[in-house]
Formats: sequence, structure tokens, C-alpha cells
Amino acid sequence: MSAATETYYSVIRRQGITRRSFHKFCSLTATSLGLGPLAASRIANALETRPRVPVIWMHGLECTCCSESFIRSAHPLVKDAVLSMISLDYDDTIMAAAGHQAEAILEETRAKHKGKYLLAVEGNPPLNEGGMFCIDGGKPFVEKLRMMAEDAMAIIAWGACASWGCVQAAKPNPTQATPIDKVITNKPIIKVPGCPPIAEVMTGVVTFITTFGKLPELDRQGRPKMFYSQRIHDKCYRRPHFDAGQFVEKWDDEGARKGYCLYKMGCKGPTTYNACSTVRWNGGVSFPIQSGHGCIGCSEDGFWDKGSFYDRLTNIKQFGIEKNADQIGVAAAGAVGAAVAAHAAVTAVKRLASKREDAAKDH
Amino acid sequence: MMVLQTPNRFKLDNSGKRIVVDPLTRIEGHMRVEVNVDSDNVIRNAVSTGTMWRGIETILKGRDPRDAWAFTERICGVCTGTHALTSVRAVENALGITIPDNANSIRNIMQLCLQVHDHLVHFYHLHALDWVDIVSALKADPKATSALAQSVSSWPLSSPGYFKDLQIRLTKFVESGQLGPFKNGYWGHAAYKLPPEANLMAVAHYLEALDFQKEIVKIHTIYGGKNPHPNWLVGGVPCAINVDDVGAVSAINIERLNLVSSIIDRCIEFTEKVYLPDVVAIGSFYKDWLFGGGLSGKSVMSYGDIPEHANDFSAKSLKLPRGVIINGNLNEVLPIDHSDPAQIQEFVTHSWYKYADESKGLHPWDGVTEPNYQLGPKTKGTKTDIKELDEGGKYSWIKAPRWRGHAVEVGPLARYIVGYAQNEPEFKEPTEKLLKTLGLPVSALFSTLGRTAARALECEWAAHQMRYFQDKLVARIKAGDTSTANVEKWKPESWPKEAKGYGFTEAPRGALAHWIKIKDTRIDNYQCVVPTTWNGSPRDPKGNIGAFEASLMDTPMADPEKPLEILRTIHSFDPCLACSTH
Amino acid sequence: MIDSTPHAVAAEIAVDAARTDRSVERNVVYVYEAPVRLWHWINALAILVLGLTGYFIGSATPTVSGEASDNFLFGYIRFAHFAAGYVLAVSFLLRVYWAFMGNPHAKQIFFVPVWRRSWWGEVLHEIRWYAFLIDQPKKYVGHNPLAQLTMFFMYTVTVLFMIVTGFALYGEGAGHDSWQYKLFGWVFSIWPNSQDVHTWHHLGLWIIVTFAIVHIYVAIREDIMSRQSIISSMISGEREFRD
Ligand code: HEM
Ligand code: HEM
Ligand code: NFV
Ligand code: SF4
Ligand code: SF4
Ligand code: F3S
Ligand SMILES: [Mg+2]
Repeated sequence: MSAATETYYSVIRRQGITRRSFHKFCSLTATSLGLGPLAASRIANALETRPRVPVIWMHGLECTCCSESFIRSAHPLVKDAVLSMISLDYDDTIMAAAGHQAEAILEETRAKHKGKYLLAVEGNPPLNEGGMFCIDGGKPFVEKLRMMAEDAMAIIAWGACASWGCVQAAKPNPTQATPIDKVITNKPIIKVPGCPPIAEVMTGVVTFITTFGKLPELDRQGRPKMFYSQRIHDKCYRRPHFDAGQFVEKWDDEGARKGYCLYKMGCKGPTTYNACSTVRWNGGVSFPIQSGHGCIGCSEDGFWDKGSFYDRLTNIKQFGIEKNADQIGVAAAGAVGAAVAAHAAVTAVKRLASKREDAAKDH
Repeated sequence: MMVLQTPNRFKLDNSGKRIVVDPLTRIEGHMRVEVNVDSDNVIRNAVSTGTMWRGIETILKGRDPRDAWAFTERICGVCTGTHALTSVRAVENALGITIPDNANSIRNIMQLCLQVHDHLVHFYHLHALDWVDIVSALKADPKATSALAQSVSSWPLSSPGYFKDLQIRLTKFVESGQLGPFKNGYWGHAAYKLPPEANLMAVAHYLEALDFQKEIVKIHTIYGGKNPHPNWLVGGVPCAINVDDVGAVSAINIERLNLVSSIIDRCIEFTEKVYLPDVVAIGSFYKDWLFGGGLSGKSVMSYGDIPEHANDFSAKSLKLPRGVIINGNLNEVLPIDHSDPAQIQEFVTHSWYKYADESKGLHPWDGVTEPNYQLGPKTKGTKTDIKELDEGGKYSWIKAPRWRGHAVEVGPLARYIVGYAQNEPEFKEPTEKLLKTLGLPVSALFSTLGRTAARALECEWAAHQMRYFQDKLVARIKAGDTSTANVEKWKPESWPKEAKGYGFTEAPRGALAHWIKIKDTRIDNYQCVVPTTWNGSPRDPKGNIGAFEASLMDTPMADPEKPLEILRTIHSFDPCLACSTH
Repeated sequence: MIDSTPHAVAAEIAVDAARTDRSVERNVVYVYEAPVRLWHWINALAILVLGLTGYFIGSATPTVSGEASDNFLFGYIRFAHFAAGYVLAVSFLLRVYWAFMGNPHAKQIFFVPVWRRSWWGEVLHEIRWYAFLIDQPKKYVGHNPLAQLTMFFMYTVTVLFMIVTGFALYGEGAGHDSWQYKLFGWVFSIWPNSQDVHTWHHLGLWIIVTFAIVHIYVAIREDIMSRQSIISSMISGEREFRD
């Protein structure tokens, strides 16, 4: 196999990139990584000789929209990513093999590429019922996941499912669907949240690893900083209307037609970290807010359980019937206010009574 | 009991060798198939199992009905949007909310866009490898391939040089030894019949379709903000229209309309010049492989969809056919009533759920979804390591829906059969034309091939319908109507204390409906009965088998260790397991 | 820390009076030193601004007309919130400093002597007084124990919470490389979805409003009922015992 193994270098040469520009690319890469000229030749060398990184893409409880999103990538085109940049050796959604032939690939990858393959996980394992809410090859998916994680170089957690739990983990989470980092604790995990994540963000993360030969820098929540360090709101083109105090008040009102801010319609852009307002969706065509609907916060932890997507303020279930912070506050302040008023009244009465008593005593 | 006659007239015999396919790949989600083959390797018993469940119906309880579309949309990212549309229709039906005409057009365009996209991706990326041998393409003569391509279509990407370049890339890819998704495929299997040139052409179109599919969905992106999982709205659509006033660039304007329009043109071109010709070209080599009919020749159902008139869901207004055909009687198309408790019912005798009385079915308004994972006594293996399932007990996460007790097939083929039976020229004529081109009788329709062909025909139909509704939308805007949402009953305070309703669509994979009960402005019960629930259903208490199981019956396998025929037929339904169990 | 038995109070009154050279006949104690008084009113003002602007940040103002570039209403509201937030935070820090530098009363709002049985007895006593079960309240130079309890939880802890969550939220806008995020970003390790931080920060508003209602009522009432100066104490700093 190794004799015929295609390298990144031969792949890009085949795509018409000259040797000169290949080396230019390598030295640019080295510079941008803050490395010296020696490193440039090492990068070039690595890319010339390294076979495509094997990727195992597994599916737990999910809806496959992350895969669907991935294939929407425009740069790189997904066909180039899959044919030339990585070696997608296992992905139940598109692979030719099934059954035993498919399972055999997992075993083979573990043995042959120990510690060298990327494990991409879409969806998450349920833990209830011995894991049998998601069965794969007759066994709980979680078993297969643990097995493949064991020898992986790193794990990519695709989407809200793998990163946070997503819709199946919304209350009451009947299957005990559990995010990847709660099941695998001894491997680097790159969370790429979103429901689904943006295609170019997904291919961006993968090609970052294959191009620069390292894992991306992650933020506090384990997300690549390059795509998840700013909120939708920070780069939203409707932001001037937010600052001006111009809001859509009702669907399809004048503000909606003028593209006013969707804050009052429940937009979660101010609390959502994602690249939608910059990279945008499907080749930069639009993103939720541009098409008139608020952001529902689909890349955020537990976004399903923060009350209605159309409410600005979150409902808080702990307070009996759901109430938002203002309703609770007004109720509490009102109750206290009433108590104060009552207290004041009693005080006044008592005071009057005792004055009379005093007066009576004086007589 | 080795041999068993089902009420829907299939003879099951589980005495032969048991073959297990798990995971069954190139579908959405997790699925397992077990079959018994006789000594001639012909399938005599088939068991299909949905092997995942998330509990979205349970999760929806107690939530705001206006949010339900987003939850149900996440039932599936492949048929993305159809659950959302079904959901907003259910809520609107329950609360008596009407939508403006423009919203109806935009919703139709989005639903049709899904049909086009989903069918195309299914054919090329999930189904093609059942018919196309990639490795054989290496042996093709690029010139002959070019000649073949040009003989079937005027699609411009067909020069010898084009195919030559592709072949070189493919050769290097294969020689690299890193076959990626094509690793361990059934290359060289006896069931592959295409000559190398047809294989090479198909591979070219596999890649072209992969590039093109991302363009199709931009229609969702424009009207719904993103794809997968565009945004919807109870009472209309969220994208406001403003073509010539201040702030028009923040809404649906002429540039957006033009973009949609040009994508529609490209959809029409691609389906006419690539997809359909490919189906004809490939189909002509598989004309004698007419297995996999299953229930299609017996019982099929289509709810109908794509309302011409906003808020009118009568059969007359729906552009996709509506009705049920039972026991092969094409002369009678029976009417459907989603609110009739005697018509649609779900059974769980063989499903991993619990009912108080499992001999009876429940209408979805009274539906119950309570998991109950237990295996039949004859299961081989353990609860967490299943070797062979016992189809006599519970064996699937899919419920068993029935229409008046009948197992039915749903999907593009069902729609075309119902349309054909109703003598709808839109469906009948292209079907007959295709059959004639291939030199096949009408009965050939009831097959794996028929399912695949109907999907292609429908894809082209849907592309043209998008054009129709886009033109309709533009005409209305021109006439001064830019309304996209009705907010009269947006506020929960305006709702009745209790309400119930249903919504339906024709999803890419078939008839889809949601039933909702609302109480005190919250969801009291929510039930989805989904296309793959119908097709992938396990047996019911009477023993009727569902469409998947029926379709595998009596199919000969060339090599039971390499289950290409099983994949081929199951794939022809375009199964979606996330949908089926939800 | 503060011994408030009547005997000790009397002793303190004498010392205070002597130090500040005020009339012993008026029976006055210098409780709230100038920095505390200044802080109190700045703080009250900042909280008024924060509460009002915070409420509008939460529910948004009615839409203004005209070009976006000509308007900045919401921007100003948020600016006022952040400015007042800084004032609150800085003055809170100074107040903490003063707790060490000032007189013993200056420490009162920063702790509750939960470990002291006698203190709880006095809390109970105050509760009975407010429940009209007792005719005469005890006299305290600083806050009475119940007030101290309320001050600590509904003011000190809550305001600290508001400052921490407020700056964490501010850090989101300022960016992940801002000092605010570096200092307070850990809040998002507790609540990974900042929507939750908003919710808690918002709930804090109502704790403070509730506190303010009770606080102002009690201040006025005590002024009238308890035969000791209360409101004027926060202006002059002196507490006068009227009998
Ligand atoms: C007593 C003190 C405070 C009160 C009552 C208060 C109140 C509020 C309220 C009600 C909100 C709206 C929350 C929502 O629903 O999203 C808010 C938001 C906010 N507050 Fe405060 N706040 C206080 C202190 C502070 C401080 C000290 C800071 C620090 C600078 C701060 C910074 C913020 C920020 C950054 C926001 C979010 C603004 C936005 O999303 O546009 N707050 N505050
Ligand atoms: C008209 C408005 C107000 C009046 C008349 C007022 C009056 C007073 C008085 C008389 C005291 C001394 C209480 C005592 O000795 O037990 C005091 C203390 C205090 N007040 Fe206010 N207050 C007002 C508003 C506020 C507000 C809005 C806040 C903050 C939410 C506040 C926070 C405090 C705090 C924390 C103390 C304790 C100071 C310390 O011991 O260091 N006050 N106030
Ligand atoms: N079955 C199904 Fe769907 C479709 N088409 C939904 O309704 O795929 Ni996910
Ligand atoms: S994260 Fe969302 S989009 Fe991705 S698989 Fe999960 S539900 Fe689907
Ligand atoms: S539309 Fe949403 S993200 Fe954009 S400015 Fe308004 S609140 Fe922020
Ligand atoms: S809903 Fe999701 S797609 Fe982007 S704009 Fe919001 S994060
Ligand atoms: Mg259901």
C-alpha cells in the first residue's frame, strides 16, 4: 500500500499547482505559524511524503444534517476534500461498504493507523438502556465510539449533538444522550458546534489540521477560536438598527421589511458564538437573520431549553409554571411592595392606637 | 413454525441461512437487515430493524407550539425542512391560522427544492454505487464514454478530454491505496452490469452532482436563512418582501428573486440533461433485474402536497396526488382523512414501545410513545450484543403504522402510482414515456428500478413546479401583494384553552404527517408518523409485513456474503432511520 | 465584631461623642463616615441608572424612526448601563477598601456573624419587632442584625454577583482578548451558554429592586418609629438617639 500512497504534495501537484508555488505556500505557512525558513522546508517535506490523513466519521444519535452541511462546502469543494485532502475511510452515510465489510474497516484502521487517524463524530451516544437507543452492529454505539477513540489522534465533535447533546438531549433527554467529551475524556476534542455547523467551518477545521499539521487553538469551551470567538451579534449587519433602537415589532411589519433588528422577536445573536454573520451560509448567500428569522442560538449549549425561540427573555422552569426573569421579578417586587404597604398600614394603626393610649394615660 | 403466510400475502420461511447486514450503510441513520436465504440464495424471510430512537415526541411535550417546527426539523437533516413545514401546518390547523398566498408559494418552493435536492443526492451519492462499479470505470475508453454521453444527452461536459482527465484523477486515487469511502466496496460483484464507459460517465456525474447539490439548496438559504435546517414560521414565512422601498436590500428583493430563478433554471437543466438520462442509461442495463416490488404492486398511499391555493388542502388544490390504493386495485383510489381515528393507527406489538393494550393500534392524536426495550425469546446473543433478532418478539425502534389495518408503501413511486391511477397526465405521461424508452411494461414499475425511476421523474417535475411557484410569487408581488405572514394569532393569549390539529406533507420519502394537541398554550401531545415509519415498519399484530421487508422477498443473491442486492432494494426506498423513529 | 449590647452602645456613644466633640446631650453617634455616605448616594444613583437601563436592555425600547445612522438610542442606553456599571464596580472596590480603613460600622455589610448564637437571638428579636410582637426595638449604632443580614445577602452578595456577571457579559462584547473577559470569562465555565448569564444577571435586578423597596421603607419607618435618626444618618453620618 505504502508504495502507491498518494501524498498531499502529489495531490496538489495534480491539481495544477507548481512546485514553486508549493514551496511558496510552505514558507508562507511557516511564517504565519511564526516559524523560521528551516521549518518551511520541513513542512514541504512533510507534505510531500505524508499520506492523506485517515478520517473515521461515526454517527450516533443525530439527524445527519452535519454530513449534509459538510457536503455543501464550496471552498474547498467537498469532492476535493474527500478525494485529495483526507482519506475518509469510514462514514456510514456515504461509504460503499456495508455490514461486515464496513466493520472490517474500523478494525483495520485501528491497527494500521494507530494514533494517526482523526475520529470525527456526528451525533452522540445515548447511555440509557445500556446504550441500545443507538445500536450499531448489534451493539451499543457507545462501545464502538470508545473503541475508535482509543487509538485516535484527536476527535472532532461535529455539531451541537456531539458538542453539547442537542435536540435529543433536550429535557427530559429520554435516552440520556451524552456529548462526546462526557464519554471520552483522554483525547483532544475539537468541538465544532452548530445545528448544523457551517460547511466551510467544517472543512476549514479539517483542512487546518491537514494543512498545518496541528490542531487548532481552542477556546474555553473547546471550540476553534478562529471560528467561534465572536458572537453573531458582534458582526451582524443589522447591528446599526440594534444600536439605534430600531426593532422588528411584529412579523412582516415595516421594520421587518426594512431589515430592522430582530432582538424583540427573540434573536439569540447576542448570546451565540458562531461564524454565521461573517462566513454566512451556503457559499455566503445568507444566514438566518438576513432571511428574516432571529438566530435561535443553534451553536450554543442547551439552546433547546432556554425558553421559546421567540422570547427575548428565557423562561425559568424552576418557578413553577414557566416565567421569565421580569415576570418573576415583578411578582416578587410586587409581593414585597404589597407586604410593605400592609406593614406600613399596620404600623400606622398601631402607632395611632398607642398614641391614644398615651394620651389616655396622660389624662 | 418455519413457513408462514402473512395476511398481505407473503410467504415467509425462516428455515434457511440467516444473513445479517448491520450497519446498513448509505442511508440516513442506523438500520439493520436480517434475511433468510434458501439453498439457491433466494431471500425467503426478511427482517428490517430501526436501530435508533431519540424521543423527540416526548421532548416536545410542554413546549411552545410555535417552536415545534425547529424541534421536528431536527428529526432529520436530510429531508430538512419537511418536518418543519408539516409542524407549522399542524399548529396552524389546530389554531385556525391562515397564511398569505406568498407564504404558500415560498413554502412550496422550499418543499420542492428539498425534493429536487434530496432525490438528486439520493440517486448519485446514496444509491448509484449499487449499480455503478467505480473500479471498472478505470478500464473505460474516454472516447467511447464521450460518445455514450453525447448519445444520451446534450449536457456539455462530455468531451473525451473531460472523461480522460477524470479517469486520470480516478486512477491516481485508486493507486494511492487510500480508497476512502470506496474502500471495501463490492467492486467486481456479479450483480454489476454496466460497461466501463457507463461506469465512468456515472462517476463523472457523481462528482458533478456533488458540486451541484450545494447550489440547489441556496433557495433554502435565501428564503430560510440556511441549509440544512432553514427557518420557518407559524403563520407564514419569516422572509419579508420589499422590492423597491427603503431597506429593500435587507429583505427578499429583485436580486434575491433573480438568484432563486437562476438556480431553478439550473435545476431544470440538470435533471433533464443529467439525472434522467443517467437513469435511462443505467436502467437500460438492468432491465431484467425487476425484483424488489414488495408492497408497491399492492398497497400504496400518498397524502398529496403542494397546495395551489393557500390554506386549501383538498385533493383538488394539491398538486401531488392524494389517496390510497389497496390490494393492487388501481381502479379505486380511496380518500384519506387524517382526523378519522379508524384510518391511521400505529401498532407497537413488534416495536420497542409500550401500550396498555398492544393488540390495538392508536390514532396519533391519542398516540403514546413510551420506550420498552426487550427482545424476543429466540434472539441469539444478549441484550447488548445481538447476533440474530427474533422477529416473533419486539425487534425495532420503528412503530408499525397502518391505514385501516393495511401496510402501505409510500414515496415517489407511491405518488406516481396514485397519480397514474387517477389518470393525472402530469404523472402518467412521463411514466409511460420512460417505460416506452426502456421498452418495459407498466408492471415493471412495481420494482426496485421503478422506485428509482419514479424518483427521477418526480425530481424533474419538482424542478418545473418550482419555476411555476416562483413565477406566481413574482406575479403577485408585481400586483402589489408583498404580505408574507399573518400575525393575528401569534400571541398565545389569543389561542383557545384546548385545540388539536394535524399537518401533512409529501416528504421526499413519502407521506408525512404530524398530529398535535395543545392545552393551555403548550403542547399536550405530539405525534409524527413518518414516511420511513410506514416503509420500514415491523410486523403488526396480524402479521402484515411492511414495505422494506416485503420488497426483499424472493430476491436472489449472487453472493450472500456481499449483500449488494439487499442494499440495492433497500436503498431504492431512500430509507431515513432518524425520521422513522424520531 | 460589633458589640451592640446596650452597655457597649452607651460606651461607644461616649467615645464617639468625645472624639467628634459633639453635644452629649443630643445623644449622637458618628456612624457613617463621609466616604460611606458619599459612596451610599453614588451607589444608589448608579443602581437607579443600572436598573432602569438594564430593564430596557432586557425588553428593548419601542422602535425609533429614521435612518439607523442618525439614531443611537439603544446604544446610549447600553452606554449608560456600562458607565454606571463601572461606577458601581469602582465605588464597590473603594467601599471594600474603606471597610478596612473606616470605623467598625464600615465592615458591617460585608459579613454576617452566623457563628454567633447571640447574634441569631437578636435577629429573632428584630423579626419579632417587625412582626409587631414587641413594643420597643433594641437600639443599634450601626445596622440592626436583621438589617445586616438583609444587607449582606440582598445587597453585598447580589451586587458582587451583578458586577461579576455584568463584566463577564461586557467581556463578550469587548472580545475574548479583552481584560474583562480574561478576568471574568470563567463565569462561562459555570454557564457555558451566555443566555443563562443574562437570565441570572436579569434576576439580580429584581433582587435589588426588592431590596430597595424594603430598604427604603424600613429606613423611613425606623426614622419615625424607632426613636433614632435613620435617614438623616445617611446624610449627616450621625445617628441620634431620641431618648
Ligand atoms: C445592580 C447592578 C446591575 C443591574 C440591576 C443590572 C441590570 C441589567 C439587566 C436587567 C440587564 C438585561 C439582561 C438581559 O435580560 O439580557 C443587564 C444587561 C447587562 N449588564 Fe447589567 N446590571 C447591573 C450591573 C452591571 C454591571 C456592574 C455591569 C458591568 C459593566 C453590567 C453589564 C451589563 C451588560 C454587558 C449587559 C448586557 C447588555 C447587552 O446584552 O446588550 N451590568 N443588566
Ligand atoms: C431614597 C433612597 C434611599 C434612602 C433614603 C436610603 C437610606 C439609607 C439609610 C438611612 C441607611 C442607613 C441604614 C441603617 O443605618 O440601617 C442606608 C444604608 C445603606 N443603603 Fe440606602 N438608602 C436609599 C437607597 C439605597 C439604594 C437604592 C441602595 C442600593 C440598592 C442602598 C444601599 C444601602 C446600603 C448597602 C446601605 C448600608 C451602608 C453601610 O452600612 O455601609 N440604599 N441607606
Ligand atoms: N422518512 C423520512 Fe424523511 C423524508 N423524506 C421525512 O419526513 O427523511 Ni429524513
Ligand atoms: S447537531 Fe443538529 S444538525 Fe447536527 S446532527 Fe445534530 S441535530 Fe443534526
Ligand atoms: S438581529 Fe440579532 S444579532 Fe443582529 S443585531 Fe439584532 S439582536 Fe443582534
Ligand atoms: S441559529 Fe444557528 S445558524 Fe447561525 S445565526 Fe444562529 S447560530
Ligand atoms: Mg411517531
